[in-house]
Parts: sequence; structure tokens; C-alpha cells
Amino acid sequence: MPASQPMIEARGVEKWYPNGFHALRGVDLSVSKGEVVVIMGPSGSGKSTFIRTFNALEEFQAGSISVDGIALSNDLRNIDAIRCETGMVFQQFNLFPHLTVLQNLCLAPVLVRKRRRAEVEGQAMGLLERVGIAEQAGKYPGQLSGGQQQRVAIARSLCMEPRILLFDEPTSALDPEMVGEVLEVMKALAADGMTMVVVTHEMGFAREVAHRVVLMSEGRIVEEAPPEIFFTNPQHERSRQFLAQIL
Amino acid sequence: MAANSLLASLRRELFASRGDALLSAGLLALIAAAAIGLLRWAFGQAQWVVIQANTTLFAVGRYPLDQQWRLWLLVALLALATGLSWGLLRANPRGDRSGVLWPANDRIAVAVLAFLTAWAPAALRLALPLQLRWWGITALLLALRWAAGRWGRRHPPQLLRWVPLIWPLLYLLGMVLISGGLGLIRVPPSEWGGLLLTVLMASFAILASFPLGVLMALGRRSELPLLRWGSVLYIEFIRGAPLITLLFLGQNILGFLLPGGLAPDRVWRAAWVLTFFCGAYVAEAVRAGLASVPGGQQEAARSLGLSVPQSLQHVVLPQALRIALPATVGQFISLLQDTTLLSLIGLLELLGTARTVMANPDFLGKNAEVYLTLAVLFWCCCAALGLGSRALERRLDPSHSPA
Ligand SMILES: Nc1ncnc2c1ncn2[C@@H]1O[C@H](COP(=O)(O)OP(=O)(O)OP(=O)(O)O)[C@@H](O)[C@H]1O
Ligand SMILES: [Mg+2]
Repeated sequence: MPASQPMIEARGVEKWYPNGFHALRGVDLSVSKGEVVVIMGPSGSGKSTFIRTFNALEEFQAGSISVDGIALSNDLRNIDAIRCETGMVFQQFNLFPHLTVLQNLCLAPVLVRKRRRAEVEGQAMGLLERVGIAEQAGKYPGQLSGGQQQRVAIARSLCMEPRILLFDEPTSALDPEMVGEVLEVMKALAADGMTMVVVTHEMGFAREVAHRVVLMSEGRIVEEAPPEIFFTNPQHERSRQFLAQIL
Repeated sequence: MAANSLLASLRRELFASRGDALLSAGLLALIAAAAIGLLRWAFGQAQWVVIQANTTLFAVGRYPLDQQWRLWLLVALLALATGLSWGLLRANPRGDRSGVLWPANDRIAVAVLAFLTAWAPAALRLALPLQLRWWGITALLLALRWAAGRWGRRHPPQLLRWVPLIWPLLYLLGMVLISGGLGLIRVPPSEWGGLLLTVLMASFAILASFPLGVLMALGRRSELPLLRWGSVLYIEFIRGAPLITLLFLGQNILGFLLPGGLAPDRVWRAAWVLTFFCGAYVAEAVRAGLASVPGGQQEAARSLGLSVPQSLQHVVLPQALRIALPATVGQFISLLQDTTLLSLIGLLELLGTARTVMANPDFLGKNAEVYLTLAVLFWCCCAALGLGSRALERRLDPSHSPA
């Protein structure tokens, strides 16, 4: 079982979008080191909004969040520090199309961590090896399949040596036959003890890898339970409805 | 075999049905008639002496005779730089990127260049020493292209990185050579003219309007209201006014608007107006490019810890500028043509020079010859810009990379 030192600590997070929409309504979540938390919930329930507050891609108006002991505030230095500690993998991959795979991986470590390019390239090749696409290092993202692109995106995040990885529906934009290869990489990361928060509807992944499943609905967390309980014996009516829909 | 298939495809394209055949035949006849007419005129009636007698005027205007060696030196340096860049590009056709730079088949380019050097000075009836000078310059260019090619093949492509630097240096050096200073006699802008003035005006405005346009496009998206409204105001004001009004306006007010040293005379004032004018349109092209880069790119860059300037410089702008490139070069091409408006504020660029020549009683009624020459000159410059832009586009396109 993971140690209980909190990597992410969110307390009473409230978020209004500029148009006045109340997207997060007092959300609490604590993620320990090495823990894998899967967030589920119907479309529009605020899952993306919530995990995007962790690395300050979205602002929040009330409550508090601290990541790896650093409080998220308006202080830009804190935000930069947190972004170096957290990697994020997006539904649409968001690889840089004008750079090769290897350049995609090396950009941030060289610019942000000021590391030597030759050294970063060595590490990047190792990571590409690990996600099984070392032979594609010189290609451009547009020349790869969706599954390969998402694996590159994961490797790109890893190249910054983050302590936390955030995934926002990493397999939703993939053809079914490519979902497996990406999930395999994520499972391997979890097995290595990476702290992960994953928004996904992949039941198999949640059952096998998650330490905890969180269900969000209308900007709130309605249920938090280990997967074996969540999927077989949910406590809340809202969870039962949701499971009935996706099963 | 090849000729046969060409004929076959011509037949398919032009004479597929009876209607097509009729239309094609009619059009071909029209084109042939026009071409024959033009050739007859060009080689029969036209009196090219109006061009031949005024080559210097068309080339450099009233640039002092005893200082023209500076321009020859500049042309020779340009030829050297071209030869060097050309040879190195050929030696490393891919560089760190893929794709070729125009001309794809540079034997043809060499042939065209050689033909032009042999034919144009003779056709213009230049004095023999001048003809020889042009031959020498071309020989220099080709020799350096050959040498740089051999040298570049033996050395790693990293050398390519500093070669582009010679161009801005050469531009500055050229400015000094043309206008004087650093020990050279000053030649005030009022004595520049002809093709020299046209190229100077256009190149200055192009080089200066590009960064200006990028800054304005970024300003327009900025979160600082002052910057945003300033950019919008600037862009919309410029785009709402005809260039000729701005040129006249600039002659009157730029003296107050810019620090004294920057716009001391009518030539520099006009150059700045062209710059500001073109900058507004470049800004719009770049804005379209910025808008077409998905927001996820910026988010990914920021989530990796890149600062806003870093993500602009390394992620957003490279993509936006590549998309904006064709529209931007389109603006540069119209700018080049718009330099003819400078003749209306009394500058003797190509068109202004042409008008003075045509007003000369010795050459009355030779308008067709002069205008045709001008049209061909402009066409060549615009075609070069267009070809360069397409080559650059291909070079920057990730989908043209080696797999
Ligand atoms: N920029 C925005 N401005 C206003 N409202 C927004 C904005 N972005 C999201 N919302 C709203 O906030 C709510 C939560 O959005 P969010 O993207 O977090 O949902 P989600 O749970 O990730 O849904 P999905 O499963 O479809 O990705 C939605 O109702 C959405 O319409
Ligand atoms: Mg979402």
C-alpha cells in the first residue's frame, strides 16, 4: 500500500468560469505518494476542470490546493515549480507538430531545467525505449499513429522527471485497437510507484490499477472508494446510476 | 516515347470533346496572334534605345558617378554571399530539416543565370568594360558556389548555422556602402534612384515590417488592455486608409512622430510609412496564423513548465508563422508593387525614373518600351519572392521530412 505522505491536497475547491458557471462546488481530495486515483463521472461533471486546477491550467476562486507541499497561489514562482513537478497527458495528445519526437521530449528539460542537450537526449531515448517507440525518435508526430502519439506524450511528460502525472481521458481519442498499448504504459508507470490522477472511463484499468476510484457529479465528489467496492457495491444512488450507464 | 505521351495527354486535356476542341483551338489562335504581334513589335518597331541609353538611370538614378564603385562592390559581395549560401545549401540539401530549397534542379538555375549574364548586358548595349564586370561577377558567384559545395560536403552541416548570419551583416554593410559614413563620402538619399531605390525601399520595409507585424499580432491577443487596444487601433487605422494618403500624411507628420534621426528626409519618411503600412497587414496575417494554432499547444507547453515567452518562441510562433507565411509573402509582394506610389510623392524610384525618361524630348512616345521593361522587372522580383516563399514553406513543413 502507498505511503500516506500527501502529494496532492485539495480542500473545498470552488471554481466559477468567467461566464458565471459554477463548475466546482467545494471539492476535497487528497492523493498520497505512489497512489493511483481514477476519477470518473458523467460528461460535464467537472473532472477536467478539477485536475487542471492541480497544475494551474485553470484558476480556482476559493479553497486551497497544495501539490508536493507547494501551495498553489497566484505567486508565479510557485506555479512554475508545481508545473515542473507535475506532468499532464491530454486527450488530444498535444504534441508539438513542428518538432520531431526526440525534440518534443527534449524541449522542456533543456529550456526549463537548463540541462545539457546531449544528456537529455540520452535520457529521452531511454524513455522512448520504455514506451516502445525508440525507432520513431526522428519522425514528426503527424507521421505516427494515435497510440504512438499518446505514448510519446507520456514520455514527454516523464522527461521532466515529474513526481505526479495527471491524465485527462488519455485513451478517449484513440481507436479501440490502440487503447491497450497506452494503458500498458500507464500500468507499468503505476507499478513503478508513480503518483497518478487519471480521468478515464476504462473500467479494466480502474479495477486493475487504481487504489481509489472517485465519482464526480455536478461539480462535487459524490463517492470515493477502492475499486473493488466502487464497482460492486457503491454506496450512493448517483454512483449506481452512473455505473448502470457505462456497464 | 515521352513526346508521344505528352501529345496524348495534351489531346486529352485540350481536345477531349468537340466543344472543348473548338474552344481550345480558338484560344490557341488568340494567344498565338497576341504573341506574334508582341514579338513583331518587340523586334521590329520597338526602339529599345530608350532603355539602352538610360541603363544607369534605371539602375541607380542620379547616384554620383565617381561613387558608383561602391555599388559595384556591393553587387560583388552579394554575388559572393549568394554563391556561398547556394553551394552550402546544395552540399547539405536537407540541413537539419528536410526538403529542398529552390531551385530543385539548380543546373537549370545556373543555365538561366549564365544566359542572363551573357545576354542582358549585351542587349542593353553596355560598354564592354561593364559587360566584362557582369561576367566577372557571375563567374565569382559560380566559382564560390562550386567551392562552397565541395567544402560543405566535407564539413558537417552544423556549419550551415552561422552562414545565414552573413546576410544581415551584408545588409548593414550595404547600407553603409550606399549611404556613406565610416570614412566614405555621404550620398544623401535624394540622390538614390531607380531600381536601387525601389529595392532599398522594399527590402527595408519588408525587414522592418515583419517584426513589427508579429509584435502587433501578439499585442492584439495580449491580456493587457492598453497593449491590446493600442494594437487594434493601429492596425485598423492603417488598414482603413489608402497607402497614398498615408504617404502624403507621412511626409507632413512623421517628422514630429519619430525621433529626428530616424526620418530626416522624404525618402526615409516614405520608407517608414511603407513599413507601418505593411506591418499592419502582416499583423493580420500573423493573427490568423496564431488563431489556427490549437489552444492545447500552449497548454501543453505551459504544463511542461515553459514560461509564456518560451512557449511563444518555441511552440506557438513557429507554427503560427509557418501558417502565416504565404499570406505574409503575399503582402510583401504587394508592398514591392506599391513602391511605385512613391513616384507620386516625387521620389525617383523605378516608375519615377521612367516618368522622367519619358518626359525627355529625346524619347517622346517610347512609353510602351519603358512600361514593358518595368513590368518585366517587377514581375521578376515578385516571382523571386514567390519562389523563395514556396521553398521556405516546403523546408518548414514537417510532413515533407525524411521518414
Ligand atoms: N471555458 C469554459 N467556460 C464556461 N464553462 C465551461 C468552460 N469549460 C468548461 N465549462 C463547463 O464546466 C463544466 C465542467 O466541464 P469539464 O470539462 O470539467 O467536464 P468533464 O467532466 O471533464 O466532462 P467530459 O467528460 O465531457 O470531458 C461543463 O458543464 C462545461 O460546460
Ligand atoms: Mg473532460
